[in-house]
Amino acid sequence: MSDRALQDLVIRALADAPFRQSPGWRQRALADADRVEQFARFLARHYYFERIVHFFKYSAALSGVTGRRPEAVLGQPPFDALRPALVLGSRDSARAVAALVVAHVKSGRPSAPIPYHADLLRYEESMMVVEAGPRVWRETGSGERGAEAAPETVEGTALLDLAYDLPVVLPKLLRPWTTVPEAPPQAVRLIIARSRYGRVAVAKATDAIVSIMELADGRKTLEDLAREAGLRPAELQATLQGLTELGAVRFSTGS
Amino acid sequence: MKVGAFYNPHLGRELAQANGIDHLAMADPPRADDPWWPKIKARYTLLLHDYLGQLSEPLDERSIQRARSLAELYHTPWVAEHFQCLHTEDGAFNLNYVFPPLYTEDFLARFVANANALKARLDQPLVMENIPGFFDVRHSQMAEPVWLRRFFEATQVGFLLDLPHVWLEAHYRGLQPDAWLAEFPLEHVVELHVAGVTEDPDLHGPWIAPAEPSDEMLAFAARAVTRCPRAQAVTFDAFSPGLTADVLLKSVGRIRAALS
Repeated sequence: MSDRALQDLVIRALADAPFRQSPGWRQRALADADRVEQFARFLARHYYFERIVHFFKYSAALSGVTGRRPEAVLGQPPFDALRPALVLGSRDSARAVAALVVAHVKSGRPSAPIPYHADLLRYEESMMVVEAGPRVWRETGSGERGAEAAPETVEGTALLDLAYDLPVVLPKLLRPWTTVPEAPPQAVRLIIARSRYGRVAVAKATDAIVSIMELADGRKTLEDLAREAGLRPAELQATLQGLTELGAVRFSTGS
Repeated sequence: MKVGAFYNPHLGRELAQANGIDHLAMADPPRADDPWWPKIKARYTLLLHDYLGQLSEPLDERSIQRARSLAELYHTPWVAEHFQCLHTEDGAFNLNYVFPPLYTEDFLARFVANANALKARLDQPLVMENIPGFFDVRHSQMAEPVWLRRFFEATQVGFLLDLPHVWLEAHYRGLQPDAWLAEFPLEHVVELHVAGVTEDPDLHGPWIAPAEPSDEMLAFAARAVTRCPRAQAVTFDAFSPGLTADVLLKSVGRIRAALS
């Protein structure tokens, strides 16, 4: 095994709690097991602290009303109970940790009404889950696609139906306020996607976006998509370009 | 000796008005909606200290262009990176925290080649920061200071000496910090980092934290600086949403006093 492959094993052991318990890792005895476990626990807390602070920042801004700081969950027994199953960067782990945060914040008793609170927590939870997953750290190819490339919805991209127009209120929550900012009670559908490099972005989803998301399976050609979605070629191209930039669609070149 | 800190955007207002800070290290690019960024940029010497990439692999063109663009934006006197290897080669696992490479001949060759390649593409000098190990990996072939010395001799890039990292390694190895420090190639040091450490509940011992440096750490820094003939700057190394303006400003003031 090369030195680089060994380094990857150590990194995986620190990131992947079930792997750390496996004979495949333990029998190698590459490092003091107690020290590795301690450092892995430290890394897990740090990893999710950063994500909770970032994705639940609106809940943090409301903590004076809810009495709940989102990141407090990391010091509580339910998070400790999750540790043996955590894999840093996995979507399942992100989903489990985000659910703990939501339950913790919901358990507060807001001192003032926040009508859109449930929507807000679903939004923050979705952002954290979408961010999870392997990412591209360095380009190895040209990144160009061939003429026959077929669009494909990227795994993990989420559509979120909300009862309140959250994008209106989010920036207001991060500015100083004395009474809880209001969100218009207007249904919106958002698309949340992640770029290949790990950047999470949100946009309002149009009917065209929803159609393409449902139809783009990596096999249908642009002609197929235009016909089945009932879109004119120019509209299809513009929507696909926006979705590609968002990270919601990529172009598959087939086998 | 210049004394500075990290730019923490949540402390933008205080930093835009502060006195006694010579420079700010930039761990992240400025946000487009940061109202304090124009004043910060106009007022301070800025040091590029972002994540550019891990030099166990060559940086791709996109990363190099990003580094060049940030260096130009900041007018940075040097560009910093870390001796780190924190994600797997296939990108499947990522620690999201600095983590050192194996100290082997193979990794030394990789870091030397990739640092030389990066250096050739930058318009500013490259400096590299040491990263603490909480445990040793038995496959390593040499001690960290030996590996670092060989790296700096082969590349002639600058050394960003993180003193708390040295202090922590000495602590966890049961060594005297000054004795452990003496092993490092201090003649290459361009910048030093000083920080606070606090007890970590997972490590059951001290680790870096957004806290004031202790008197012991400041005395260690004062002794270290005298052993680094090329050092130009000391930076209070704290970048965290939990950092307060009070801690940052006091820490910079205490570092300056300790070095005077």
